[in-house]
Amino acid sequence: MEPVSVNLGGVQPVGSGPAAEPGGPAQGSNFREMLDGYLREVNSLQTKAEMAVRDLAVGKSDSVHDVIVAVSEADLSFRLMMEVRNRLLEAYKEIMRMQV
Amino acid sequence: MTSDKMFRAMDISASGLRAEWVRMQVVANNVANAETTQTPEGGPYRRRQVLFSTVLDGLSGVTVRGVVPSASAPRMVHNPGHPDANADGLVAMPDISVPLEMVDMLTAGRAYEANLAAMRKFRQICEEAIKLLR
Repeated sequence: MEPVSVNLGGVQPVGSGPAAEPGGPAQGSNFREMLDGYLREVNSLQTKAEMAVRDLAVGKSDSVHDVIVAVSEADLSFRLMMEVRNRLLEAYKEIMRMQV
Repeated sequence: MTSDKMFRAMDISASGLRAEWVRMQVVANNVANAETTQTPEGGPYRRRQVLFSTVLDGLSGVTVRGVVPSASAPRMVHNPGHPDANADGLVAMPDISVPLEMVDMLTAGRAYEANLAAMRKFRQICEEAIKLLR
């Protein structure tokens, strides 16, 4: 009996996922870079919030609302990032627990 | 992913807060100068008004276009003993009615609160959405 070869697609390695696909998007926007960019974004929001609080404390700015907005944005984006991270780690652990 | 798109609603509310903040300051200035008869530009203080306008693309909130003095004539009060009285004994007083300013102040305060409420709601639905990941 001839072995049947079926291409199920399946899971591709994270690093070379979309880039390795022929005809797919050529840019190197892999998962790592996406996550890295997102972390940078969250970090810059944190820095912005810190600057806003410092400016208010030092007396360089008088707008309480700008501080509130900066801190809220930093808080929300950080929380979203944490949830995504927790979710990713969970998925990773799930895979590691898999019986081979 | 850019956060300025993610927090667009919050930034709009923030622009509203900023605008009402300026309006509050203008009203406070009007009340403080309700009896001011001397100004650097000469004559009595003129009531200031804020002009709001939308940001160009229409969905980025409000901006303060400027703070302009009102064009109405000053109130003439008979008070011959006043140093700023003219030959007829009339003093040009600012065209400000304090009760009206207080109403303006109340409106500005409520509008500030409304913007805060919108912001709080946005924050709340964001948190609820994030909870879905748990």
